[in-house]
Amino acid sequence: MNFIDRFMASWRKYRKPGYYEEFDYAWTMTIDLDRCTGCGACVTACQAENNIPIVGEKELGRGREMQWIRIERYWEGEYPNAKLSFIPMLCQHCDAAPCETVCPVSATYHNQDGLNTQIYNRCIGTRSCAVYCPYEVRYFNYYDHHWDAPLEQQLNPDVTVREKGVMEKCTFCVQRIRQAKDHAKDDGRRRVKDGEVQPACVQTCPSEAMTFGDRKDANSVVAKKMNDPRAYHVLEETNTLPSVVYLKKVSANAD
Amino acid sequence: MHRRNRGTAMTRNVLGLFRDPDSALAAAGRLKGAGFERPELMSPIPIHGVEEVLGPKKSVIKRFTLVGGLLGAISGFTLAAWTAVLYVHPTGGRPIITLPPFLIITYEMTILFGILATVLGFLISARFPAIRERIYVPETAVDRFAVVVACSSDDLLQRAESILHEAGAEEVRRITEGDS
Amino acid sequence: MQTEVRQARFADVNDDVVRSLVVTGRNYYIALGIAGFVTLTCFFFPWFYQLYYGIGAAGMNSPTVWGTYLASFIFWIGLSHSGTLLSCVLHLTNSEWRKAMYRSAEAMTFFSLFVAITMVMVHIGRPWFIHWAAPYPNQMGLWPNFRSPLMFDVMAIMTYLTGSGIFIYMGAIPDFAAVRDRTTGWRHHLYVLLSLGWRGTDKEWHRLGWAYTFLAVLIIPLAVSVHSIVSWDFALSIVPGLHQTIFAPYFVVGAIYSGTAGIVTVMFVLRKYMNFEHYITKLHFDNLGKLLLLLSLLWTYINMLELFTGWFSGTSTEYEQLKYKLTGFYAPLYWEMILFCAVAPLLLISRKFRTSFVPMLILSIAINIGMYTERFLIVATTLSRQYLPGSWRVYVPSLVEISILVGSLALFVTLFLLFVKIFPSISIYEIKETMDAPKKQGDRHDT
Repeated sequence: MNFIDRFMASWRKYRKPGYYEEFDYAWTMTIDLDRCTGCGACVTACQAENNIPIVGEKELGRGREMQWIRIERYWEGEYPNAKLSFIPMLCQHCDAAPCETVCPVSATYHNQDGLNTQIYNRCIGTRSCAVYCPYEVRYFNYYDHHWDAPLEQQLNPDVTVREKGVMEKCTFCVQRIRQAKDHAKDDGRRRVKDGEVQPACVQTCPSEAMTFGDRKDANSVVAKKMNDPRAYHVLEETNTLPSVVYLKKVSANAD
Repeated sequence: MHRRNRGTAMTRNVLGLFRDPDSALAAAGRLKGAGFERPELMSPIPIHGVEEVLGPKKSVIKRFTLVGGLLGAISGFTLAAWTAVLYVHPTGGRPIITLPPFLIITYEMTILFGILATVLGFLISARFPAIRERIYVPETAVDRFAVVVACSSDDLLQRAESILHEAGAEEVRRITEGDS
Repeated sequence: MQTEVRQARFADVNDDVVRSLVVTGRNYYIALGIAGFVTLTCFFFPWFYQLYYGIGAAGMNSPTVWGTYLASFIFWIGLSHSGTLLSCVLHLTNSEWRKAMYRSAEAMTFFSLFVAITMVMVHIGRPWFIHWAAPYPNQMGLWPNFRSPLMFDVMAIMTYLTGSGIFIYMGAIPDFAAVRDRTTGWRHHLYVLLSLGWRGTDKEWHRLGWAYTFLAVLIIPLAVSVHSIVSWDFALSIVPGLHQTIFAPYFVVGAIYSGTAGIVTVMFVLRKYMNFEHYITKLHFDNLGKLLLLLSLLWTYINMLELFTGWFSGTSTEYEQLKYKLTGFYAPLYWEMILFCAVAPLLLISRKFRTSFVPMLILSIAINIGMYTERFLIVATTLSRQYLPGSWRVYVPSLVEISILVGSLALFVTLFLLFVKIFPSISIYEIKETMDAPKKQGDRHDT
């Protein structure tokens, strides 16, 4: 009977939709579009932290950008009445991520921290995850990249350098999260405190438009911001359950 | 093909060559009616109506296909479900053991194993590949129809020969198994 | 009298087929040489260049990460559909006109699948790890992700490759026996092995008949499922333009359509260059033409359905996709596809057109060009216009990609040319069965 009970418990666990166990942490990011100035500091910080290659002017002209977080800009109207709206777009770490199901070799999957992970050395480069992502936040390494001296001294030793043929995307600076969790464990098996870990973009944002934390912790800043009446998800109708919450810009000139 | 001398008593056969399938079939029927062992018909195209004249043949191939298909279904689902559980990679908010994708895998494996089992059944029931030498005349691959019957004694051989001649055989030969 | 006529013609069939295998003219060597040379320079060299430098050699960018390689993959899988599927369906319906052409059609299936798998290897970013998509026990303890539509693809295509290879081989065992007797040297040894000692006894024919019928019954649902699964590579996404339930029937109909057009092309070539004029006649072209017309009408209907649902949805992303397809950057390609695949085949209504050989050849090539354009448009237009307008970008294939496309065609031609010299490309025994035509099946005792 013990075997049958264990089997039935496993069966229920494996048939459960959503994540099959409870998340350890549920990392969430909020971006306040009212505070965002579109300065692009987050883009630069991400590039510095994660060894993102500089693809060069020619490749960028061919459309092969490599920015794990990008500022999308939308122009409305013509000069002199042009209006610009912008939104930082990064991997939303969707709980029901469409990109995860399609990888044939399981190079991308949802981990116990609620992150959508990308395993670079398992990726065989089918690029179907990029097709399936509705936010277009996955970037492919079309070439091997070089850092001319002395730029290679700027590389972060905590993060690998990806070879050609591999897909990459924002990881919520998983190396920092891992370090914070290790530190918390060494410090007496406690949980990571709110504000103890921040991805590079959140840390760098000059107007503090971005916050990061664990939404399972009811006292965290992100949990409170998620209840803001301005909160929304991008492309909510696609039911991807993203972990990035945007706070709508309240414009003085809005019609 | 290599020749093997059996050493012990060699089977003697009578072979009759016909120009059209109906006379060959009629001759085979007469041989069977005269009490000989079931004659073999060799032809370049399948002859219709053999079962009515010479008796029904059972086909075991269907059992192979069925067993193969069932094995395939079980192994398909097991492959997909067990490997999903061995190293758990939750993806896309789906359960670890998702039914629609795994049923597709099951379906493909069912057909794969069904196909392989059918081939195996064919090879076994038709006794392929032929390792030992068997009676063969190359004309039957072109445009002649042959009737071969095994005879254990000389007067049986002569009776067979006369029946074949009566039925309209173009050519009648004696073949001893062991010769080519 | 009738038996003497039959005898002369039976022997002729053997003669013709053996001659097609053994006697090689200069034209054949020239054709093989050209095909091989084009394969080497247009397929393998650019592919090695791309392997060394990276997928950047192709024209793909973000977000159009899929390009002509995947369109070619789907095109070749589609081309592979008609041969074996048509052969199985026509076998189960006891049709006579199938008998002269099914062997080459099945070979076309097998080699198209082979070329399609090569296109996968060209397409992925790190093909030296493609074996990770196969389920095998390894020290990492990792298995492929069977929830992925690409894994359904792997299983389905492996099954289809095995199934169609086995099917074409089983049907050819008696033919191998027939040509084994009349050939010498390496061919003789090869055919001795391949014919498994077939003698043509009634027991062997009976078993072969049953096995062949079972295989046909198994392969028909398999073939339908393979292209449905390939369509689900697209349809299981949530991207507008791809996330449609019509994709499975759309792709299957399109596959049978382009495959049948491919059969017409192959039949024309075989008839002209292998001296098979007696066996491949106007009747075959007539029937193939009727089938093509039916499939063309079905395909047009499904396209109209797509247009209708896009328009009906109002101002959604689907409607945006539709506008882009009809009037955007790729609009000339879209209208060329409609011309070649929906309008031109209406010529098949005329019986005179269906039974003229060269017009049928030109139409079949035009249909395949249109169908390739359709696959290309599915990839290019849907990836260029997704949800977020900030990422809209146009995709233009690079020289490397075009060269590999041409090279894949040359690879297919090379394989097929090798096939006609090793495999009997017309089924000897089935043609002989048609020569028995005055007697219906089961009606054996009447003369």
